[in-house]
Amino acid sequence: MTPDKTKALSADPTHAMEKDIAFKVEDLNVYYGEKQALKKIKVDIPTHSVTAIIGPSGCGKSTFLRCLNRMNELLPNFRIEGEIIFDGQNIYDKNVDVIDVRQRIGMVFQKPNPFPKSIYENVAYGLRIQGIKKRDLLDNIVEMSLKKAAIWDEVKDRLAHPALALSGGQQQRLCIARALAVEPEVLLLDEPTSAIDPIATGRIEELLRELVKSYTIVMVTHNMQQAARVSGSTAYFLLGELIEFDETSKIFTNPGDRRTEDYITGRFG
Amino acid sequence: MQNRQAMRTRKWNQWRDRLFSLLGLSVTTLGVVVLLALLVDVFMDGFARLDFDFLTHFPSRRPERAGIYAAWVGTLWIAVLTAAMAFPIGVAAATYLEEYARKNWLTDLIEINIANLAGVPSIIYGLLGLGIFVRWMDLERSILAGGMTLALLVLPIVILSSRESLRTVPSSIREASYALGASKWQTIRNQVLPAAMPGILTGAILAISRALGETAPLITIGALTYVAFLPKNPIGSEFPFFNLDGLMDPFSVLPIQIFNWVSRPQKGFAINAAAAIIVLLFITFVMNGIAVYLRHRSQKKVRW
Ligand SMILES: Nc1ncnc2c1ncn2[C@@H]1O[C@H](COP(=O)(O)OP(=O)(O)O)[C@@H](O)[C@H]1O
Ligand SMILES: [Mg+2]
Repeated sequence: MTPDKTKALSADPTHAMEKDIAFKVEDLNVYYGEKQALKKIKVDIPTHSVTAIIGPSGCGKSTFLRCLNRMNELLPNFRIEGEIIFDGQNIYDKNVDVIDVRQRIGMVFQKPNPFPKSIYENVAYGLRIQGIKKRDLLDNIVEMSLKKAAIWDEVKDRLAHPALALSGGQQQRLCIARALAVEPEVLLLDEPTSAIDPIATGRIEELLRELVKSYTIVMVTHNMQQAARVSGSTAYFLLGELIEFDETSKIFTNPGDRRTEDYITGRFG
Repeated sequence: MQNRQAMRTRKWNQWRDRLFSLLGLSVTTLGVVVLLALLVDVFMDGFARLDFDFLTHFPSRRPERAGIYAAWVGTLWIAVLTAAMAFPIGVAAATYLEEYARKNWLTDLIEINIANLAGVPSIIYGLLGLGIFVRWMDLERSILAGGMTLALLVLPIVILSSRESLRTVPSSIREASYALGASKWQTIRNQVLPAAMPGILTGAILAISRALGETAPLITIGALTYVAFLPKNPIGSEFPFFNLDGLMDPFSVLPIQIFNWVSRPQKGFAINAAAAIIVLLFITFVMNGIAVYLRHRSQKKVRW
């Protein structure tokens, strides 16, 4: 990371009062070609908390999540309007470096996607592309990241083994370790447990409860029990609109919108 | 009633399945049998002729003293040169087209052209090589001109198979890389190309091993004329390999040597031709073996 890139996103004193807000999303509209996938989203996502995004499939949960670290730009027909303020700056500003954004806002995907390389190289990759070559520094960060992702004990004796030989749940925790290695402030997770078994899911939920002490976490989930178990606040999306955003306990006990209630009581979705 | 109809349809389908698999099996067997017959014929004619002298002697007017030294060394030179030129250019072109190029009329045009070029008869490439490399660039009938001509010939195939291979790299790998802050080039260099490499190599090796059997383009650029004056053989005396002066020497290759021998009336040359065919087949099989091994190894790897 070069110093001036860091400066581009550094804290702005006028936003000091918003220090509890990680993302301030203003009038976000997203289009895939002609089709509008997100409509007028306005939401403040808190720091050091797990924010769950729920809603029926196709409602734009992934789209919203991928806006937060500019992963959507990789799609050719993607278009965005509005602002996403992160650390005092709109991450879609022209002078913001997308690489910097993605290093500070890490992402874990629905299907575990380790590189077809060794466990060690998977975790070290994000550092290597920053030009870090020192072996002991790499060793250190790899170990720390694997520990933070609660997978160190399982893999410490086989760091040179192929990552693809791990089980699905282990692969997903490896992907979390890989994301943590570049020392992000935010972790975005898109249905991180939908492709793995219940026991591995439990371990990841436990891990998230631990990680939230040091990271801001935004997680898409289609599992409402999971949202209830892990998250501090919940956003309910429907057909590209943000229907309701509130503390998770409130959403699940006393939702303010009829449509939210229908969804969480299983009458719909 | 409906059930009966369904049963009949299913029976008919089963019968048709069986018929087709039988047909497929017999056609395949026929192909293999014909190939085997050819192989056996060639081996019976030529195998006894294969010895150390045959591999280390230059061509001669007397069949029993003639060898394929110049020819197999030339084939090796050409193989290395063709690979050294077609592989990097082909992979670079494929990477550009697949990863960087915007889809517009120009890239469409390029795409169609590459697909068409892959089907152009090889002699046309010989004429192109003759016009550009031999005459215009004044490379004469050199190994370099031959290598460049064959590189042109295999380039479209290398590009097509490399693109195919790049396309099979799952987008989840690219996303994982981008999400860690990798640039496009870093993603391609560190993840996409390595993941696609077994497929790219397989395609390239198969293309080059085919090119080594090509006769027409090399005859067109003048290799045959050289073979008519066989007694002086510059390649053999230009050994060792790292002397790049050899690039500018005239040359012969196995298929041309074979062609030359086959067209002579003496029985001895026919035997020589059969023996040379065995050597050429051996080289081709080794290369194809490597390609198959690479493909097999990449398929065995755990899927992402
Ligand atoms: N790359 C894309 N191109 C076009 N439409 C897309 C693309 N990705 C998603 N969409 C559409 O956008 C809408 C929201 O998709 P998504 O964000 O993936 O929903 P969710 O994650 O809630 O299931 C869906 O209707 C989907 O079809
Ligand atoms: Mg989704």
